[in-house]
Amino acid sequence: MTVSAQNVENEKTGGPPEWLAVALDTQPLDVRAMLAQGIDPFEAMMEAASSIEMGGFLVVDAPFNPSPLRRILAGRGFSSYGRKLTEGHWRVFFHLDGGADWEREAEVTVLPEGAMTWREEDGLHIDVRKLPPPNPLVAILRVIEGITGNETVIVHHEREPQMLAPELAERGWRIARLSKEVVNVRLWLERVG
Amino acid sequence: MFPGSFMMGAKDRLLPPSVPYRFFAAAALFHLAAWATLAVAGPDAIRGFVGGQGLVLAALHMITLGTLAMTAMGAAIQLLPVATRRPLGPHWACRLMFWLYAPGVLLFCAGLALSLPWAQHGGATLTVSGLALFGWLVATNQRKVDDLPGVTHHTWTALAALVLLALLGVLLVVDFTKGFLADHTGVAAAHAVLAAYGFMGMLALGFSYVLIPMFVLASAVPNAVGKQTALASGLALALGAGGAAFGFGPVAALGAVVGLVAVGLYLKGMLACLKTRMKKRLEPFFRMVWLAWGVLPLSLLLAGAVALGAPLDPWAGVWGFVLVFGWLLSFVTAILQRIMPFLASMHSSSLGGKPALLSHLAPKLPVDIHLACHGAALVLVTAGLIGGWAWPLRLGVYAGLAGAVSFGVFTVEVLRRYRSHMAAAAAANHEG
Repeated sequence: MTVSAQNVENEKTGGPPEWLAVALDTQPLDVRAMLAQGIDPFEAMMEAASSIEMGGFLVVDAPFNPSPLRRILAGRGFSSYGRKLTEGHWRVFFHLDGGADWEREAEVTVLPEGAMTWREEDGLHIDVRKLPPPNPLVAILRVIEGITGNETVIVHHEREPQMLAPELAERGWRIARLSKEVVNVRLWLERVG
Repeated sequence: MFPGSFMMGAKDRLLPPSVPYRFFAAAALFHLAAWATLAVAGPDAIRGFVGGQGLVLAALHMITLGTLAMTAMGAAIQLLPVATRRPLGPHWACRLMFWLYAPGVLLFCAGLALSLPWAQHGGATLTVSGLALFGWLVATNQRKVDDLPGVTHHTWTALAALVLLALLGVLLVVDFTKGFLADHTGVAAAHAVLAAYGFMGMLALGFSYVLIPMFVLASAVPNAVGKQTALASGLALALGAGGAAFGFGPVAALGAVVGLVAVGLYLKGMLACLKTRMKKRLEPFFRMVWLAWGVLPLSLLLAGAVALGAPLDPWAGVWGFVLVFGWLLSFVTAILQRIMPFLASMHSSSLGGKPALLSHLAPKLPVDIHLACHGAALVLVTAGLIGGWAWPLRLGVYAGLAGAVSFGVFTVEVLRRYRSHMAAAAAANHEG
């Protein structure tokens, strides 16, 4: 059986991917201390990811499942596999193989501006973190202009988007903020009326 | 209802609206004053202008310092921290900058108009102090920004040009009374190149990489384009200003050629950006942007011609007019047309109500009139300068004055509509 066939088989059965056996030898990058100090570890992780060559691995220890990071790295060709080791300790294995496994599993759509969208029970999510201005604004507006009903849009941002409110108002939408974490400002957008 | 608090206009990084708007209102006033001063000066003074104190030089500085740089300051203190995600500086520093700069420009221009050395020296001191504070605020903001090279590379070049142009400007002012400069005209030309292509031009190019995609809702311009234009335009500036200052015409002309390459790269990047835009129909302000972009390469062709020995009368005047009124004033008034209602809308939900719609805040008729009058002024004054004719000059100045009045009406109307919206929101809050 080939490696990719084995991966597909493992996905069907919920097992780990074949490449995990090799990835286990990689020294983890532990970002828990940085997050505890309120420091955004994104740049450190992206720098580590940028040095990985095709076929290589990156392992990250985090206090939670870093879904946004996994989506961003998926856009750069990384497949990922996460394990919850203990409460407050996740270890996520990344493999630079084109990211085909991850994309099929996560059903993520990548917009032209680099933002990723996916659906969850509470609405359509869009992650615009780390995009250069004005790409977050453009991506968010592109998403809401494609919505015909009253679906809620949940934005994952790294800051409060000052330029967004006027453009939303022009389109009959409004903005609310639910939470503000170290690296994740989440905004709930809804159609007015 | 969603849990959590509503954003109330996302005002974390926003200055109080009175801070940027005082710069914009002052810019509109100086715009009006400049055209009025040219009208008083009359066509003969404009036609024969090749430098020296008087009403024409005063009007020129009302535009460059009073409108162009004033707008750049107001826009930068509000938009840079938003774009770069870094703080700019304390609010009091922004207010102090205005109170040094605006009276300084007024005093300086009055000194130039009336040939009053004390007013020139006092005004120049205040103006340079305000510019120095601006430079310090921007440098503080940019120091730790490494992810927006298209903006920061141009801004650093603009700040370097600011230091040099201020130095040359002070030398020129002192030379009016002391007469120690061997080549006043050459130094004045270098000062003009540094001010128009260096300080204002670099800010215009750098800010374009954020403002234009944001206003037309297009993807960001690739960093590589910004780096290329910064490199090419920086080289062009060094050649142009150096050639002008030391009297090496061919070097200055080479600067114009390199500048054309930089402009070509810039416009190519901007047009590629426009192709990705979501707003298929461009807003009215963009007509002035098209005009500015069309005139920018023309100004460089004229600069090259002057550098290679075209007669200063009339070509130096034509070059200066096309550069300042054609490229920079067109671009800056275009940005003001968009940014004033945009900022008003951003601030308009601070009392908790719905934000005022951009389309309701910006009246269209005044900008239509401004466009027609400004375009007519450009054509008529340029024709008058080239042909040495008085009547097109006079008509052109009156057209420019009418355009400035219309632009002033636009400014007042945006502020009136914003205040009206805020009053209604306050009343609704009171009743609620």
